[in-house]
Amino acid sequence: MNTSLTILKATGLSFIIFWAIIFSEEKFMLDMFPYVFLSFIPIGFCCLIVICLTICPFFWAKNESKDSDTILKTYFPFYAIILFTLCSYGLITSNLNIFSVAFIISAFFTLLKSWTWLAKSHKNKKA
Amino acid sequence: MKNIPLIIGALLFSTLFHKQGIGLNLSIFNILTLIVLIIYNKNAFKQKSTIAYAVLYLITAASIFIYNNSLSIIANTIAFITLIGQVSEQNSSIYVNWLNGLYTCIAGLFHRNFGVNENEQKVESKKEIDYLHLAKIIGIPLIILTIFISLYKNGNPMFNGLINDIDFSIINFQWILVALCGYYLLSNISNPVIVDPATINDVQTGNILPYQESIETDNLKKEHQFGFILITALNALIIIFLITDITYLLSSNDLRASVFSNQVHSGINALIASIIIAIIIILYFFRGDLNFYKKNKNLKLVAYTWIILNAILVINIIIKDAQYIYYFGLTYKRIGVLVYLLLTVIGLVTTFIKVKDLKNFWYLFRINTVTAFTILIVSSTINWDSYITIYNLNYAKSMDFNYLIELSNNNAFILKNYLDKNNLNDKKTLTINRKFKNYLRELKNKSWQESQFDNFKLK
Repeated sequence: MNTSLTILKATGLSFIIFWAIIFSEEKFMLDMFPYVFLSFIPIGFCCLIVICLTICPFFWAKNESKDSDTILKTYFPFYAIILFTLCSYGLITSNLNIFSVAFIISAFFTLLKSWTWLAKSHKNKKA
Repeated sequence: MKNIPLIIGALLFSTLFHKQGIGLNLSIFNILTLIVLIIYNKNAFKQKSTIAYAVLYLITAASIFIYNNSLSIIANTIAFITLIGQVSEQNSSIYVNWLNGLYTCIAGLFHRNFGVNENEQKVESKKEIDYLHLAKIIGIPLIILTIFISLYKNGNPMFNGLINDIDFSIINFQWILVALCGYYLLSNISNPVIVDPATINDVQTGNILPYQESIETDNLKKEHQFGFILITALNALIIIFLITDITYLLSSNDLRASVFSNQVHSGINALIASIIIAIIIILYFFRGDLNFYKKNKNLKLVAYTWIILNAILVINIIIKDAQYIYYFGLTYKRIGVLVYLLLTVIGLVTTFIKVKDLKNFWYLFRINTVTAFTILIVSSTINWDSYITIYNLNYAKSMDFNYLIELSNNNAFILKNYLDKNNLNDKKTLTINRKFKNYLRELKNKSWQESQFDNFKLK
């Protein structure tokens, strides 16, 4: 399982979704470019923390009786449902503020996609 | 080619919902999702149960267009999730349909991305996309180009003007993002997935308790004795409660709203606790061996008696609530009490059947969730605001006029009609006219996507 590569991919995906949503509302100015570029650091940090704390433990804690197929089938649906519930709650309480919407939507899609990356890297490593 | 319906659906999704409120658009979206489901899951729609759920879904879609209230939107969302779950697995219970439907809507595409082969229950690795290479060929040139553009801008005023003249406002990125969300949702539901262990376990679990040879052990005798004493004592208690309550009702002539309100609400609280504990206790004693114990007739008799006494308690509350409504008019809370009582009666009847026909806990859970779902769908087809207004204005002995004004706009035409036919005081006339005019303005300002049935009344 290649966790560092997954975090890197997740940071990229999160960065694209976050700024795509922001710039769908706000006009992009070239002067903003350095700040946009620097946002890679906090976004990467968030991805590192959340992926390591909420997704990786499922793969790290697996024992002989539970292969990655079982982990995916058993935990991913409930993880997705809980994540959706938390994100919906966040969206409602944020009054649809554009930064909150961008943060929550990018977190939702990035975390779900991270599961597939981690699962596939785990599979490939095993193969 | 396979994705063309999804792409058309996504474009339509954005046209319907981008910067729009709820109205005709949600009803059209319901038809769109149904078409997508039928196109991709023809086999599922050969089953009568799936067709029935699809019809219920369309009924809620129609009620959104006609009433446009929160109840119809909630009912429609639940009907949508149920239908998706039903398409994913036709033999599962309704609560598993909810789980499957919700999971499909949220993460169906990602689930399929794992390449889980449902037949073989194996995860197949799909061809890996080289994201690093993609980032290299798109991201890096984009970053370097942007840096150079910002440098050249400062060196040449003409180039600066040219860059500043570039206007992307013709492209609506938000519209495109909404379309992408639509594509994601439609792609998720086009091929519904299942939550594996929960669905398989549910399909394999029947409604009947597995037959066991009657074993007369000491433990079973003691448990029977314990159950009999406990339920008999509870029967005695509920009888005393009913006698005192009926006596109080017959002897009291006080018709103040607060007194009635207290009686109904404390009665409901007692009922909630009583029914839940009754069902839990009955489920505990009739969970296994005691069902097949030869000398369980007395225990069954006291259990049936307890169910009947609880039903009498329900009737008692219905009478109180009906009196309350007769004197002080209808409100959502009072209707809610009646709906809760209906659910309680059904819960008691199913518990009776469970004991009589040796059914298991899952039978109770299945039948009661289906009942709750059906009641929700039926309730969404009723214009409650209209009925509350008509009843309170014409039949209630007294009522709160401000409550009618605070209801949704579904009663605006009724109130205006009432005002035209009756002489009301200035304050009431002003309030009704204000509500009516605000509603007319709101209807006129709606786009075609947000329009509802009342818009056609204006023409």
